[in-house]
Amino acid sequence: MRRVNVIGVGMTRFAKPGASEDYHEMASKAAKAALQDAGVKYEEVEQAYAGYVYGDSTCGQRAIYEVGLTGIPVFNVNNNCSTGSTALMLGRQAVAGGLAECVIVVGFEKMEKGALSNKYDDRANPLEQHANVMAKVQGFTQAPPAAQMFGGAGREYRWRYGTRRETFGKVSEKARKHANKNPFAIFNDLLSLEEIMSAPEVFDPLTRYQCCPPTCGAAAAVLCSDEFARRHGIANPVYIAAQAMKTDYGSSFQESMIRMCGYDMTVNAARAVYEQAGVGPEDVDVVELHDCFTANEILTYEGLGLCREGEAEKFIWEGQNTYGGKYVTNPSGGLLSKGHPLGATGLAQCTELVWQLRGQAEARQVENARIALQHNLGLGGACVVTMYRRD
Amino acid sequence: MSKELRFDGRVAIITGAGNGLGKSHALLLASRGARVVVNDLGGSHRGEGKSSAAADAVVAEIKAAGGEAVANYDSVEDGDKIVQSALDHFGRLDILVNNAGILRDTSFPKMSAADWDLIYRVHVAGVFKTTHAAWGHMRDREFGRIVMTSSAAGIYGNFGQANYSMAKLGVVGLAQTLAIEGRKKNVLVNTIAPIAGSRMTETVLPPDLLEALKPEYVSPLVAYLCHEGCEETGGLFEVGGGFVGKLRWERTQGKSFRLSRRMTPEHVAGAWKEITDFRKSTHPSDINGSMAAVMENLGTARGKGGNEFIDVDEALGYEFPESRESYSEKDLALYALAIGAARDALDEGELRAVYEGHTQGFVALPTFGVIPALNAMMKAGQAPGMNYGFERILHGEQYLELKRPLPSSGTLTHKARIKDILDKGKNAVVVTEVRSFDGAGQEIMRNEITAVVRGAGGWGGDRGASTEQAPLPDRAPDASITEKTHENQALLYRLTGDINPLHADPSFAGAMGFQRPILHGLCTYGFSARHVIKAFAKNDPRYLRSIKGRFSDSVFPGETLVTELWKESDTRILFRTKVVERDVVVISGGVAELFSELPSARAAAPAAAPAAAPAATPAQPEATTRNSFLVLQHYIEKNPDLAQKIQTVFQFKISNPEASWVIDLKQGKVYEGVDPKADTTLEIADEDYLAMASGKANPMALFSGGKLKIGGNVMASQKLSFMQKMDREAALRDAIAAGKLGGAAAPAGSAAPAGSAAPTAPAAPEKPKQTKAPELFRKVGERLAQNPALAGELGGAVRFRVKDPDSVWQIDTSGAVKEGDGEAATTITLREEDLDAMLGGTVSVATLYQQGKLRVDGEVGPARKLSVLKA
Repeated sequence: MRRVNVIGVGMTRFAKPGASEDYHEMASKAAKAALQDAGVKYEEVEQAYAGYVYGDSTCGQRAIYEVGLTGIPVFNVNNNCSTGSTALMLGRQAVAGGLAECVIVVGFEKMEKGALSNKYDDRANPLEQHANVMAKVQGFTQAPPAAQMFGGAGREYRWRYGTRRETFGKVSEKARKHANKNPFAIFNDLLSLEEIMSAPEVFDPLTRYQCCPPTCGAAAAVLCSDEFARRHGIANPVYIAAQAMKTDYGSSFQESMIRMCGYDMTVNAARAVYEQAGVGPEDVDVVELHDCFTANEILTYEGLGLCREGEAEKFIWEGQNTYGGKYVTNPSGGLLSKGHPLGATGLAQCTELVWQLRGQAEARQVENARIALQHNLGLGGACVVTMYRRD
Repeated sequence: MSKELRFDGRVAIITGAGNGLGKSHALLLASRGARVVVNDLGGSHRGEGKSSAAADAVVAEIKAAGGEAVANYDSVEDGDKIVQSALDHFGRLDILVNNAGILRDTSFPKMSAADWDLIYRVHVAGVFKTTHAAWGHMRDREFGRIVMTSSAAGIYGNFGQANYSMAKLGVVGLAQTLAIEGRKKNVLVNTIAPIAGSRMTETVLPPDLLEALKPEYVSPLVAYLCHEGCEETGGLFEVGGGFVGKLRWERTQGKSFRLSRRMTPEHVAGAWKEITDFRKSTHPSDINGSMAAVMENLGTARGKGGNEFIDVDEALGYEFPESRESYSEKDLALYALAIGAARDALDEGELRAVYEGHTQGFVALPTFGVIPALNAMMKAGQAPGMNYGFERILHGEQYLELKRPLPSSGTLTHKARIKDILDKGKNAVVVTEVRSFDGAGQEIMRNEITAVVRGAGGWGGDRGASTEQAPLPDRAPDASITEKTHENQALLYRLTGDINPLHADPSFAGAMGFQRPILHGLCTYGFSARHVIKAFAKNDPRYLRSIKGRFSDSVFPGETLVTELWKESDTRILFRTKVVERDVVVISGGVAELFSELPSARAAAPAAAPAAAPAATPAQPEATTRNSFLVLQHYIEKNPDLAQKIQTVFQFKISNPEASWVIDLKQGKVYEGVDPKADTTLEIADEDYLAMASGKANPMALFSGGKLKIGGNVMASQKLSFMQKMDREAALRDAIAAGKLGGAAAPAGSAAPAGSAAPTAPAAPEKPKQTKAPELFRKVGERLAQNPALAGELGGAVRFRVKDPDSVWQIDTSGAVKEGDGEAATTITLREEDLDAMLGGTVSVATLYQQGKLRVDGEVGPARKLSVLKA
């Protein structure tokens, strides 16, 4: 396998449903920004991978055609909330395997207002097995299904480790603090813990401010081989040091909400990445992880090995998850505050981490960041963990 | 460079050494010390004429260079003379290079016998003669190096060289065996296939190529092969133009057919890809290598056994492609009629199996399950390795097991596999298992179809467990049911799927040796199952869990069946079925198992309990449920946008009493009946449905409490919340005004309320709330007082915010319990009924918490210890 470099990244400012441009405009802007960042002409790109969840077939082409019409292969990728990093993984495989020298990966989403729900009622629900676990463990309510699932995992976590409700709120407080410095985030306002805790409850223990908002936006990355980078005079690029995807194990469908929500996918994907890279969690400087709900950020700290199982509460209250602590998690504001356009999220995480490793993250810059970790999870399910480095 | 390879003291014969390759070989060997017999007949390359000039010239050239050589003009057909010449001149012979050759090229049709013979005589017989004469000397002296000259034409073939090709590959074969025979005596034999310009090849190669293919590029290999330091033997080398390479045989992994089975040209054709696929190949280098594949096949071929009819290795465990099949109430009703159900049209139990409008609800006869399974098998055809015709098959035994009662309609996916193959001596027995799954992937039933394959046994395979049936109890049957089949029973039964003419066509049946068409074995099996149900399963087919029987004789339609039953336990019945008229057993070894409790009855079970409680139940609950749906029907018809928005079909299965209603919010219809394509199925007791429809109970709460069972798209049931949101009173008024509730089913008393919500909300006159909290907490206080350690276990003060009816309670760190607010690090919020259930131990704290019925604020620790407060 060849080393794959991320030589260009770009994203749009994330926006509320109704307040964004159409998907092809957002996506092409992100793609152009990434190409410009890389200093590569679209004509040199050999393949394009386009990730999105909501939309008819071939939206990828519609978006990419805005950038150029060179007849290259365009792959449309859909893998729920991990769509963006799934596209990234496919692009990386093409370059790593020597099938392409330079590819572009773009993720975008134009979402509707309100909670996620199924578009097709006339066929099997892909999350049926997951929903059945939930129905068995805790029944279900009128709350948004995703909130019930991740909230249920939060409940299970609380019960197991005796975690206070406020600990969940603290994660949102931190997310807002980080997003406050990110001009690309949907929310820039700070929120106090009190405001977060007194907000309407979506599903105990989650209040409204602990759930990521429906978001519209796009992000893109240009990947290339060492040879291609050398030819373009790109010195010391950020590269992908390791990457792994895991899908559900049998444990997802036993009677644990935590496992149903992909905890074992996270654990195993992270383990695979640490093994590939020969680098452990202790060496990581900065992390973008899948905080669709505060509960999942807490679970993911442990899944990625940032802290030991059951110690997330301590980790949070000691401030180990932010500037000055062991790891800066979600410097971008994460899904909670930067926003979560499903198809774009994986690439927006990538964008943030590339900026961090290049020292271009401005007010959010994590000092001397050399190793970055990305975690992107979709129920249904797939979890992609990626490690980036810059020498 | 390594040391120069010398031939000092060696004597070599080079045949055909007057020109070309032979001359080159001779010059090279002589230049390195060998004494050479330069043999050349001096004829043309076509073998015509004779002259000593060529050989003499070469000898002269050798001598001029300081070497030693002698000329010989004999034909290789007199090879012994050439050898003798070497012995005469030099007294020994070490090296023989068989190089002489001629061509008689012509396309095969024009090739004469003389062309063929001449080539054979020079190339094959000549080589034999010369080599044979040399062989003894070499063996005796235990040293010899022989080189044969072959050709690409022999190895690969070449147009116009049929005779030459034959001869050139002939010497390869000769060399192979001589290599083996000479090896021990240090007589080594190799073959070269030179690519070189010579007098012979002038005719077939263009001049510029000939120039590049000088003999000088070939002779070094010959010299090396003739050197004493070279140990190669039996090799075949292509050499020329500066290239030297060795050839060997390559063989595909090929295909090994099982021995002792029929092998046909079709088998070969079918395996052609494998036979010719070189991706996995071997390079056999001797006879042992050649035999290896065969030996391996001999070693493994028997495998699990089999014969021309059945290849157990191939067939056993074979999984057939999945198949799907839908069935409806109509299919079930036809099947039921075909196995004699409801002959007495007033038999309420059996009427339910044929009449979809039955007030008790339609039920499926469980043995219908054999039909789709058999259809699936028929569709799948024969498994690989099953090489017998259907005419050999007899249905021997049938086993059917239901995981839960068969739904009244559905689409099942069938997965069949060959579970067992037994060699019963004369016959073989093949057991096929068919497992059937519903749309949610839940296994719903399993069939085992045991087929006897006549005359297909006898390969010495596994006989399987003895199939001797357990003897029937030594007492008179506990029950016995006699029933006459109808004369046209088989004609009816065949409509369920098995259309074998044996059961309909008198002439066909006659040809098969029956006096008239016989009844399907599975039809008799259905009769037996009905008899089991009637005798021991409360005449409710849903209780039948499994049934097995062996078809031991045939039944003619119109004969009378008697099923004798023995009750082994509450859930196990033994039976056999006989034909009364002929007193023969037609189904033997019958075993049936019953469910002690209906598996799907779980949701309905709690509903049964309140019936005993003194709760106010409506006088006409059935009519009220109907009215409630009729109100909905009217409401939905008047609000088409609702269907637009919701786009979901809900199937309600109401129990106690039973009813089926469909709320179709795709088409905006509400009707009594069944929609097999419903998105979501809701099973609920009538009483709970009424509570829900009247807004008194929340569907989600009913679900969590196990009173509402939801199947299909579980999440879509969220959309039922429209029932909570609609203005029920207005809807009721509208429905009454439209005369919708005036139907026969609506009892007069409840259908004519004056504006009140009677029909939809008659269920429960508001129950007076009895506050249980004081009593519950008084008991908790007592327990804590008796056992002060409990408060310590709790680990902190806990405040209880009890809802519905509301009250606040406090347990402090010392274990004191008091009503009212206070300081506590932990606050628990829950409903009074849940508090009661928790303290009573009927539900765990963790479950209440995970279901969101118990909320924890502040410190979680004490909440996790709440179970210490249990009675």
